[in-house]
Amino acid sequence: MNGLGEHLKLSVRLHFRNKLALIYGYLFPLIFLVAFWVLYRHEKVPLLRHMGELLTVSVLGGACFGLPTSMVSERERGVWRRYRLTPLPTWAFVVSTAVARYLIVLSAGLLQLGLALAVGMTLPEHPLGLFVAFTFVSFALIGLGLVIATLADNVPAVQALGQCIFLPMLIIGGVAVQLASLPTWAQQLSAFFPGRYAVEAIQASVSGDGLAGATFSLPALALIGVAGCIAGTKLFRWDSAQRFATRSGKLWLITVFAAWAAVGVLAEWQTRVSARVAAEMAAAVAVAPISKEKPWLALTSKDVAQLNFRVPSDFGVVSPYAAPDDEATDYTKDEMDNVRRELPTWRPGLRGDDVQRVRNLLCVAAVPDAIQMPIERYLPPVVLQQLEDIYPRDQLIKILTWIVLHPDDGTIVDNIEALGVQGSAGDPSVVRERSYLYALKFIIRLTGRDRR
Amino acid sequence: MPDNVVVRDLCKRYGGTEAVGGVSFAVQAGEIFGLLGPNGAGKTTTLECLLGLREPDSGHLEVCGVDARRDPRTAKRKLGVALQSTALPDKITPREALRLFGSFYVDRIAPAALLERFALTAKADAPFDSLSGGQRQRLTLALAFVHAPEVVVLDEPTTGLDPQARRELHDEILRIKRDGKTVLLTTHDLAEAEQLCDRIAIIDRGRIVATGTPGELVARAQGKQSISLVTDRPLAAALWAGMAGAAEMSCVGATVSFRTADANASVAAVTALLAEHRVELIELHVRRASLEEIFLGLTRGGAAVTEATP
Repeated sequence: MNGLGEHLKLSVRLHFRNKLALIYGYLFPLIFLVAFWVLYRHEKVPLLRHMGELLTVSVLGGACFGLPTSMVSERERGVWRRYRLTPLPTWAFVVSTAVARYLIVLSAGLLQLGLALAVGMTLPEHPLGLFVAFTFVSFALIGLGLVIATLADNVPAVQALGQCIFLPMLIIGGVAVQLASLPTWAQQLSAFFPGRYAVEAIQASVSGDGLAGATFSLPALALIGVAGCIAGTKLFRWDSAQRFATRSGKLWLITVFAAWAAVGVLAEWQTRVSARVAAEMAAAVAVAPISKEKPWLALTSKDVAQLNFRVPSDFGVVSPYAAPDDEATDYTKDEMDNVRRELPTWRPGLRGDDVQRVRNLLCVAAVPDAIQMPIERYLPPVVLQQLEDIYPRDQLIKILTWIVLHPDDGTIVDNIEALGVQGSAGDPSVVRERSYLYALKFIIRLTGRDRR
Repeated sequence: MPDNVVVRDLCKRYGGTEAVGGVSFAVQAGEIFGLLGPNGAGKTTTLECLLGLREPDSGHLEVCGVDARRDPRTAKRKLGVALQSTALPDKITPREALRLFGSFYVDRIAPAALLERFALTAKADAPFDSLSGGQRQRLTLALAFVHAPEVVVLDEPTTGLDPQARRELHDEILRIKRDGKTVLLTTHDLAEAEQLCDRIAIIDRGRIVATGTPGELVARAQGKQSISLVTDRPLAAALWAGMAGAAEMSCVGATVSFRTADANASVAAVTALLAEHRVELIELHVRRASLEEIFLGLTRGGAAVTEATP
């Protein structure tokens, strides 16, 4: 198999001589990473929750665009026709091309991981598991790329077909937009896209239970990959003159659709969609490292000082906080007065232990922020005032510190309609996240850090 | 000499169109065999079927005793191919290409030796897209030699080359023959075919219409001698038109040309006619029909088959 090895080596080498391929293969994934970093900059551990999405996007780009574009353009120019004149069998060229693409996306993934670590992401929990998961993801999506290469008659067709798969996978397939943010129908539909299993498998190794947390995703990816590779090899076209429409053996495409459908049906049957959504919600608040367990009353000023006080700007979109001289409109003032009046007797604010009560009161600031209501920036000072009215300052700081250290404990409130503010936060994970941020902002004010 | 390439009763249809309808020919070991035909005649389809690029509907294909339809991989090991419709990746260098294609075979020639033989040493590490047309063609030819094949197939090898590059390539093809290899080439260029080929097959509308050596094809062509003459003054066209045995008569002033099946009789008739009308003969040329004229005659409007094979 000297020929296979030589073709593999040369394919990788030629990739690095193609400037456009380098831009698509390496620069775009890095731009995605920076965009995610900026978008989720308030998260305590940068990018940790999003490596599944980021790495999947990179593999998807390399597999759905890079691989078929390169194969189809070479086919159009007659390069594959020249290869066919040699005695090397078809499968050897397919394997070598697929392995070369795997090495290329692996290098792009390592670059992304390196940059993520450089900006403060912690090491993946299961590095070996991550490698295995990444390999499965690459296998599945490269199989898909081979199928696109057989379907597309020319390079523009690759772009069109690639977008037809890439964009839905990104938006409603659980790759770029978290499933918890999607409507139910999209969550159900995503079960039929390999992208969500890719994100799930990688994320499990980055911040979850490792491969043990991907017992469904990995076989699903393997099945999708095998189907893609079989169809890609069976329908392989050497010659651009041979159009797909006139090609025999098109029924092999059924293998691909059958694999996607089988995985989707099985996932629905095992109710894995809702499980993934629940996991995402939990993950949304599980990013803060937990300090050693002790009751909130035992927390000291040292514990408070060790908190990571990196929070979004008070004037931004996430967790805004009105300045003292920021005057609300008359309508908003009426709403604020109503909240101020009702808050002391608001039932969730009186229910449970002290931590749960404070947690519930934090939701009064977090819910309007999650829904992005006009009143959102004016309510945090109202809530803080209410908390200061109830608790002594030292005690309040400790309770808030406890909540920051245990953001996923207890329950949250997803609407404050009883306070006269209409609307409900659809995603509980966002309310938890914003509660965490407002707890930090309150501690900053209570400890005078905002004046330093 | 054994036949290194045998094509027998090859048929290939594309939908309702018959591209090749029962083509048969054989190429002997050590000879250069030319497949000639106009565009769409079926020579490319014939070649592609032989090389395994297309699956024929029926027929027998053999390369060095190997059934190319049953065992295409073994047949491909015996074939070195330079097709016009193939290419290489833009950024590959000649050295890399030779190493890559050599790796597909068990027996191979070192890239350095091929680079030197095909005058590519100076461009050994230049990307393919920076090579001139002649250099690319030489590289394509070098690639056909990476495994020292027994049969070399060249598809219109000199198309697009300048006269210098063309002459160099002709020398190289003749060298291939001297090395004892069998060469099967297609070309549009009849002068090239006449210069290089030991034997020629003319293909038209998916069928072989003539085979033989260039000399045999020319010699056996009937009614193809061409006579042209110049007189001291014009003679009435009606007088020339009445001359027995002349065809395709053309009279322009004092210059007359026509074709004839019997040059001796025609020359006698010309001199008699001129003497009768007291017209002086200034120039007289009698020449054999060229291969081009034969080719055009055979491939125009359903010509009869001329079999010149001994």
